[in-house]
Amino acid sequence: MKNISEKPATTKKEDRKTSIMQTALKLFSTEGFYTTTMPAIAKTLGMSVGNFYNYFSSKDQLAKELMLYISTVLGDKLREINMTDVSVKEKVTMIVHMYFSIARERPELIEYFLRVFLSNREIFTKECTGMVCVSGFVTELMLFFDEGVQSGELKDQDFFSALGLFMGYLGGMVFLNGEEVLTKPLNEYETAIAENIYNALRKQ
Amino acid sequence: MKPRLKVLWLQGVTCNGNTHSFLNYPHLLYVLETFEFLYHSLLPSTYTLEEISTCVHECDILIFEGAYDPRMERVGTSLETLVGHYGSHAKYVIAAGSCASFGGMFKHSDPEHITGLGFDEKEPKGPFASSPKLINLSGCPMHPEWMGYTLRMIADNKPIAVDELHRPKELYSYLAHHGCTRNEYFEWKVDSDHFGTKEGCLFYKQGCRGPMTHASCNKILWNDVSSKTRVGTPCFGCTEPDFPRINMFETKTNMSIPQDVPVGISKRSYLTMAGIAKSFHIPRLEKRLIDDDA
Amino acid sequence: MMTRKWIERIEGEASIGFEFEENKVSFASIAFPHFRGMEAILQSKPAMDALVIAPRVCGICGHSHLFAAVRAIESVYANSGFPLEISPKAQILRELTLSLELIQNHFKWLYMVIYPELSHLLQRPIADSCRLKGAYAASLATKVLAIFAGQWPHSSYMIPGGVTCDPTYVDTVRAMGILDELMRWFEKEVTGISMEEYLSISSAKDLSHVSGDMRDIDKMLRTAKMHKQGFSYDRYMVLGNHGFSNPSKYMHRRMAKVNPQLVMLEDPYTVDEKTYAKNALYQNNAFETGPLARAVTNGVPFIKHLHRYFRDSTYTRIMARSYETALLLDHCKTLLQSLRLDEPSFIEPSKKITSLSEEGVGIVEAPRGPLIHKVTLNKGIVDHYTLITPTQWNLSCGSPQTQGPAQKAMIGADSIETATFTFRSFDVCSVCTTH
Ligand code: SF4
Repeated sequence: MKNISEKPATTKKEDRKTSIMQTALKLFSTEGFYTTTMPAIAKTLGMSVGNFYNYFSSKDQLAKELMLYISTVLGDKLREINMTDVSVKEKVTMIVHMYFSIARERPELIEYFLRVFLSNREIFTKECTGMVCVSGFVTELMLFFDEGVQSGELKDQDFFSALGLFMGYLGGMVFLNGEEVLTKPLNEYETAIAENIYNALRKQ
Repeated sequence: MKPRLKVLWLQGVTCNGNTHSFLNYPHLLYVLETFEFLYHSLLPSTYTLEEISTCVHECDILIFEGAYDPRMERVGTSLETLVGHYGSHAKYVIAAGSCASFGGMFKHSDPEHITGLGFDEKEPKGPFASSPKLINLSGCPMHPEWMGYTLRMIADNKPIAVDELHRPKELYSYLAHHGCTRNEYFEWKVDSDHFGTKEGCLFYKQGCRGPMTHASCNKILWNDVSSKTRVGTPCFGCTEPDFPRINMFETKTNMSIPQDVPVGISKRSYLTMAGIAKSFHIPRLEKRLIDDDA
Repeated sequence: MMTRKWIERIEGEASIGFEFEENKVSFASIAFPHFRGMEAILQSKPAMDALVIAPRVCGICGHSHLFAAVRAIESVYANSGFPLEISPKAQILRELTLSLELIQNHFKWLYMVIYPELSHLLQRPIADSCRLKGAYAASLATKVLAIFAGQWPHSSYMIPGGVTCDPTYVDTVRAMGILDELMRWFEKEVTGISMEEYLSISSAKDLSHVSGDMRDIDKMLRTAKMHKQGFSYDRYMVLGNHGFSNPSKYMHRRMAKVNPQLVMLEDPYTVDEKTYAKNALYQNNAFETGPLARAVTNGVPFIKHLHRYFRDSTYTRIMARSYETALLLDHCKTLLQSLRLDEPSFIEPSKKITSLSEEGVGIVEAPRGPLIHKVTLNKGIVDHYTLITPTQWNLSCGSPQTQGPAQKAMIGADSIETATFTFRSFDVCSVCTTH
């Protein structure tokens, strides 16, 4: 697996790739995934279309690498939290905070995940089956849950029922926020949400 | 002819499973030619146990089978006396099986008093704790070839390197997982969804301890022909100090994530690999190995 | 006055106290000093763990304990209203590996106990390598067993609902090859005549055709007058249901049905020695169990013939066990040939074991006779476990009025040595007796 953020982007080519991905993410979130074409991305970056294809041979490939990139960014943050020596309860708060901060600071990352990855599964069938493209993030969540159960704080249950509860909740809040239906800024919900999640996952 | 090395095979709290396992050894004739058994419960021996219990003889190698309870008596003499006498004169003390090595199954009949010869589970304890003489051939039972190897190395004056639990490295550096016929299923995370099939790996559901267990069961096959995992029985980790564990036919998971992962591999690396491997559907591994309809 | 003697090499030790009258044994009390508390170890364990723990009751008949344990758990299912379906294939495999365990046991007993002890008794020492014959033949039997069960000793391949293995014909062909080799070895070393011929003998006279070690053993047994001593109650008990056994009792020269619920345990009679073995009785009566009991109740012609002439003498008892080895070898061959591998090995129980709170009883014929495992589960956890082993019948220790079969058989022996030899004819296993 290519792990984009773990290897420092030393080479020019890597730098360029990252900046292409950032631009593509922005365009996808403002213009929509299907309407944004490869030449349009190249044009925004001031690159020739031919040169652009040296970096990503197809839109499918770009789409997949973007998901890997996002999963790695989130996975790295989660890993830091996992490595912190605090209670599982505090970690839940930290994860909620981390997720909402990213949603605020780099909304295109979360949006891509919610609007493109989850709703256009057909583009990802080939090389992104199952959890391959989100494994960086999912692995860290597994470690978090595993530690929670081992320490006796969390209830032992099926992984997906816990994952759905946690990520579905966070994703839903970000979605509502994006639709501007929330009455308060997202971060003001953090404490209540963290508490709800913890109570739902906690060993009774 | 060289004088034969004197071996005494003593039994503590045991089921005699190691004795019977050793009788499967294909080269017993070599053993009898090279070693003189002062006493063994079934092989030709020089003395009776009653004569042994007088503690007037000496042996070069003490083989001890079963858990160690100093108060237990064999024909009227306590194990403390017997093991103390014969062990102090012997050049090597071989713990045959997991009970003798770590306490094993029969530690559970009196956990307070019973230990192995040199370990109480994984803590050094017992009459040969930290003794350089001690060689642990853990396993419930131990494999006959493991004893055969140890005896021959001793007879040939060759050094036997041991791990921190005093087990010969050449036998216990392998994992039971090495050489299992289900390895490819493990690699691609194709779990066996129920018992009784030759396909699928037993790691996720059936409790297989192969990747966490130091033993060469799938390298040196049992009875020369098979092993637990080859016949669809999970490895129970019987060579490790924590045998017998609880719930041995089930894998301990936390939110579907296995609590234990292969020795020396971080859970993060394991889950990353496993997550990816699991994403692929490999029809060849998902169907029966041999097509019945063909 | 009582003379105490340690009896060794019986899967542990026993201590027998002999009383003599007119230079003949008038009473013998048997004590087994070692105790491990297997039943307590099994307590509070998840039911499935019993399949790992139970085989460790005994290193020589652990497979029988596995079988009894799995039957006990299956009986819990049945008593809870969810009888399990066991495919014919799984049933055949279970019976095959059990039979192979009996075979290895009998070979070891014959060559590592009876042959050398008999030679010793008659002061006609045999070569060390002779004992190894027992180990060699036993190792071939366990090799066949391991093809299906993974290993011997201490396999756990029988589980509620079937077996864990899924053999191919490559495995059965291999098994057949090793079994053939063992049978050829048996013909060459043990009987000197073909298996077929040996299996068709029906009288002591036919034994004159036999030329292998069996002939030597037969002659020595008669020289030692073993056909004139070692008599016990001539009452037999078989409880395990297999292709090679017929659950029934034999008493007053008549066969009758048995009800395992009438098996009872009683404290042993002790004189001056602590013993941990409880006596197994049926309606207050002592019964002999094992190969002789199986042969009499199953009507094996040759053994029936010997029994008619020599009743339950030490000779008959020894011949019965030796002969059973051949019967079982033949049985294994039939079983292997009848295996249909396209059947399932395992049929998943419809209920989780953790939902069951019931009692169950599992009975099998172990090398030395009926082996009973009784279990009570509480939500799948062992609440109570009781083991009744075959040696608890044969080696039970009663008072002079309530003697056990082996005790009674030793009466009249002219020396401790001959009495001890008769004791060994029961194939003594110390670890099973006390567990
Ligand atoms: S069954 Fe056990 S030993 Fe075999 S591959 Fe799977 S984990 Fe390894």
